[in-house]
Formats: sequence, structure tokens, C-alpha cells
Amino acid sequence: MRRGKWIWIVVCACLVWGIALGYAGAQEKKKLTFAWIPKALNNPVFELGRDGAFAKAKELSETTDYEVEVLYVGSVASDAAEQVRVVEDVIARGVDGIGISCNDPDALVDVINKAVDAGIPVMTWDADAPNSKRFTYLGVSNYDGGKAAAELLIRYMGEKGKVALLTGVPGAFNLEERIRGFKDVIKNYPEIEIVTTVACYDDINKGVEVVEEVMQAYPDLTGWFFVGLWPLFAERGSMPLWEEAAKAGRVKTVAFDTLPVELEYLKEGLLVGLVGQKYWGWGYDTIQMLFDHIVNGKQFPSWTDSGMDIVTIHNVDAMIEAWKTSDFTKPLPPAFPEG
Amino acid sequence: MVVEHPELSSQEERYVEPSFAVRLARNQLAALLFILFGMVMVLSLLTRTFLTANNIFNVLRAFSWIAIASFGQSIVIISGGIDLSSGSNMAFSGIITGMLLNSGYSITFSVILGLAVTLLVGFFNGIMVSKAKLPPFIATLGTMSIIRGFCYGMTEGWPIRSLPRGFLALGQTDIHFFLWRIPLPAILMVIFAILCFILLDRTKLGYHTYAVGGNEYAAGLAGINTGRVKNIAFTLSGLLAGIGGILMTARLGVAAPTAAQGYELDIIAAAVIGGISLTGGEGNVWGALIGAAIMQILRNALVLLGFPAYWQPAAIGAVIIGAVMIDMYRKRKV
Repeated sequence: MRRGKWIWIVVCACLVWGIALGYAGAQEKKKLTFAWIPKALNNPVFELGRDGAFAKAKELSETTDYEVEVLYVGSVASDAAEQVRVVEDVIARGVDGIGISCNDPDALVDVINKAVDAGIPVMTWDADAPNSKRFTYLGVSNYDGGKAAAELLIRYMGEKGKVALLTGVPGAFNLEERIRGFKDVIKNYPEIEIVTTVACYDDINKGVEVVEEVMQAYPDLTGWFFVGLWPLFAERGSMPLWEEAAKAGRVKTVAFDTLPVELEYLKEGLLVGLVGQKYWGWGYDTIQMLFDHIVNGKQFPSWTDSGMDIVTIHNVDAMIEAWKTSDFTKPLPPAFPEG
Repeated sequence: MVVEHPELSSQEERYVEPSFAVRLARNQLAALLFILFGMVMVLSLLTRTFLTANNIFNVLRAFSWIAIASFGQSIVIISGGIDLSSGSNMAFSGIITGMLLNSGYSITFSVILGLAVTLLVGFFNGIMVSKAKLPPFIATLGTMSIIRGFCYGMTEGWPIRSLPRGFLALGQTDIHFFLWRIPLPAILMVIFAILCFILLDRTKLGYHTYAVGGNEYAAGLAGINTGRVKNIAFTLSGLLAGIGGILMTARLGVAAPTAAQGYELDIIAAAVIGGISLTGGEGNVWGALIGAAIMQILRNALVLLGFPAYWQPAAIGAVIIGAVMIDMYRKRKV
């Protein structure tokens, strides 16, 4: 009796699956499918890139003879091994192009080459795998971002003072590059001292704690560089010491990324500057480049600079507007209009 | 060769009234408090900021939610199990409550529902262990992942913000007590510690919990409903982790799906440092409270002392091992 029931369930499932397959096959058109693979599905910034990718796909479907579809797939958490599996699945499924942000520069080389050998062009964005056969890398230099952050801070804080750094997971390549860039600029100002570097392991709670602890340990602190935005996700009132010092203008803070929460802080004057990647462009530009490469045979240099957004009080409104309308196609006004 | 007979010597000792020092050394809590005070003394000498009211209350608040979750964890460990889902539960209660609050429900309703959900998760863990006979490690490893998946899925990865002021007050209020302003979570932590202590030390259910953890088979033969005891232990663990999560969410003003990731290990470590044996049947919640305090003071100290961030995990690991080793040494010695 029991076994009979199971057989029926399996038969029904197979039937449904078969019908679905047949239906999908019947819909065949002149179609391009691109897989857009972020480092992780659990990081909200990638969703902005995904929206950019979908927007570009829609735009291309409307303006060209192709129907462009974007597959948004990835591992839930940042994990190179899991990402390799996802790429393999995508190859097996068969797509026309892949845009990927690599969790590890080396771990993904093999599977990217496998895709290219199978006739699927691959490009990387945000995080590269330089030794693979990908045709280009769209990204920023985190090192330059760190330098830009240091220059922003010096502009507001002046050429002397005590600075603390907040990082996420020690050893994360992009964060370390930002810190290296930041320190290389600060080195030229002997009167600026980096008093401590603290880590919060990408955890909002720990970020809030260590910022407050540093504020206690170094009452004469004049500058902060948040290498990511972790503690800024928390609501007002969770970092009273930092807030008070920032409001009074004693501590100037520069942070990475340009998410709406940070823009609010900037508008209130608690942050003085933001350096951010063009998340929207991760998707929007990647899909355009894949399309140009595959349809028009366009060649790209090995590294395509996507540029950085520098946000200060002078152009924060334009950035807030872009987030509200989900339209990041307009260029930002200059961060320092006076030059 | 002279062979020492520990049984013999202890038998002799039994007739002697133990000196105050021996009684103190025998008391596990006293030993833990001694370690704690040692750390406080050293830190107050090394830094000017450690022994300020502001810092002490910050530390108290920072470990209060870990400690509260750790009380539940302690009950489970004493009953012979382990609960790996407490970190996920902490995030889950915050997310459920945050979502309800942002859809306009009242604070009381949202918090109660958030807690009810983690209580159910705990109950589900209990059922899997007591009825389906899954090893607790595997059952809760599964729920840890399932609940984390729900956290990501329900929020699509975005943190929930703009929670009402009244809710944030749960984590951000300070209660005036003589000269001090004590954070509300720290007071709740002490209240829950007392409640859990009463449950474990003064009720039949508490004795049964120790009995089941000490020797499940014997407890069963003695007529204790072991399944029911385990069920209650896991349910309480879910509930207490949920309470910790809500306090943390209220303090930060944000319910992130990535919140409290990996905290289950801190929660378990707090219990173990506090002398709660992983083999079950031993220890009490005051130990867990002190264990959580030791870990947080250490983290705080490393920042105040300017210890390089890259080396901090190593220092924390060393202290966990050190604290447990001192405890083991004390047990053998006395």
C-alpha cells in the first residue's frame, strides 16, 4: 500500500517535470541568457547590482533584436567552493555568457577556464580571477579607494590628528587593499598617527562595541576610517560616544560604500565623506559588456575601471535621489564644487 | 614505589572540618569569580578607562544577550544535550519582531510573537531529540541552518531598520539605581539568571534535568520522563535565545539576517568556561553568567589595550582553554 503511493507520487512528479520541460522548449526564440553571479546572495549590495543587470537586460530586449535574460544565481554565503559548484551548474545548464564576482582569485580559475573552453565567454566584476581566461575585469582598485578615503579625511580633519581604523574580517583582500591605500597616503603626513585598527568580523553588534571602546580608550581621537559600513547599520543611540563626538565635530569619519543608511548619517553631518563602488554598474555595465562582446565582437582591455563614487555633503542629495528612483545612470555632481 | 590512594586520603579528610580556604577552593563559583576579579584588577591597573562606570556598563550590556542565551544553553547542556541553533534563533526573533513592528503591529504583540516563534523552534529541536531520537548536535545543526535560511529568505538579505523608538528603549534604556545608570538588558540578565537558578536548583524539574544529564538510563529507570525533560530544556533554550536576540536588536536598532552569526560558539563557550560540563549533569547558570562576562571583558580589554586586531582571536582562544584548564586542575586538586 505504502510503496504504491510513493510510486504514484514519483510518476506524477515526472509527468509535471516533463510537461514543464516541453513547455520551456516550445518557447524558443532568439534569446541570450547571461548568468550574473555575485559572491553571495546574503549581501544586500549585490541586489542593487542585480537590479542594474535586470534593468540593462530589459533595455537591451526592448532596443535590440535579442531577448536578453539574466540568471541571478550564487551561493548563499561567500564561499569559493560553493561558488565553483554554482558555475559548474550554470555551464551544465548552458548559458551564453557569465559575469562573476569571484570569492577567491585562484579557486575560480579552473572552472572559469572550463566555461570558456565550453564556448561560454566569462568576465569578472568587483572581484577578479586574473589568471583565468576571462575576457575582462570590470572593477575598481580598492587600493585607490583607500587613498581617496584618506584624502577625504585629511581635507576635513586637517593634516594632524589621531586616527582609528575599523575593518571587517582581518585578511579579506579588498579590505586589506583599502587599508594599504589609506596608510600609504597617511604616511606622507607625519603629524597624523594611526592609533589603532579594530576588527568587527562583519558583525554589526561587534562593530558598535569596538567603536565605542575605541572612543573610550582614545578620548583625543580626531578621525575614523570605517573600511566598511558595519556599525552604521545600527540605529541612532547605539554609539552615543561616537555620535556625540561626531556631532560636536571633534571626530571626522570617512566610510566606504554609499548605502542609504550612510547617506542619512552624512546628511546629518555625522560622516564627512563616503567612497563607494558603483554597485548598480556591477550589473548594468557587466550585461552591456557581455552583450557587446558576444553580439558585436567588441574587445576589452584586461581591466576596465568602473570608477568610484565620492560622496560629500555637496552631492549627497543627488545620491539619495538615485537610490530613491533606482536610477544610477546619471553622473554624480562633483564632490568638491570649488575644486 | 609508593602508590597514593586518593580515595583513602579523601576519606580521612572527611572527618576533618575543611578550612575556609579549602571550602573556597572547592566552590567552583568562587574560583571563577577569582579569575574574573583578577582580570578586573589587572585591567584597572593597565588602563585608565576600564574601571569607569561607562565602560563597565557597556561591557555589562554587551554580554547580557550572550549570557541570557547561554542560560538556556546551560539547561540543555546540563540535560546532556547541546543547542547549536541559539545564534540563528537570536537573529530570528529579532527579524520576526522587526518585520511585525514595521508592518504596524504593537510592540507587545510583535515581541511576544517573535519569542513564540523561537520557543517553537526550541520545541521542535526537543521533539527531534526526544521523539525522533536524533543526536542533539545533528538536530540543532540542521535547525541552525534552516533558521538562518529563513532569516535570509524573509528579508532577502537586507537588514530591517527604522524600528519604533519604544522598542529600542528595551535595549537602550538605563535604569537609575543609586548613583548608577544600569542598562536594562543587564538587569534582565540578572533576573533571568535568578529564574533559571530557581528552576534548576529548587524545582523537581531541575533535579530531573541534572539526573537526565548525569545518567539518562538510570533517570529513565527511576521513573523520570526523560523525553519531557529534554523537550522543556530545548524549548527554554529557544525562548531564552529569542529574548537575547530581541534585546540585541533593540540595542542596535537593526535586525540583520547576518546578526549573531557564530554566536552559538560564544554561547557554548560561556557555559563551558562557567564550569558546565559538556558531558551533562553538572554546573549552574551563575557559571554561565561569569563565563560570558570573562569573554566580554577579554574582548573589551584587547581593544582598550590596543592589542592588534589580527591577533585577538588567538588571545580569546587561549583564554577559553586557560579558564577551563584552571577549573579542571582545581577539580583534581580538591
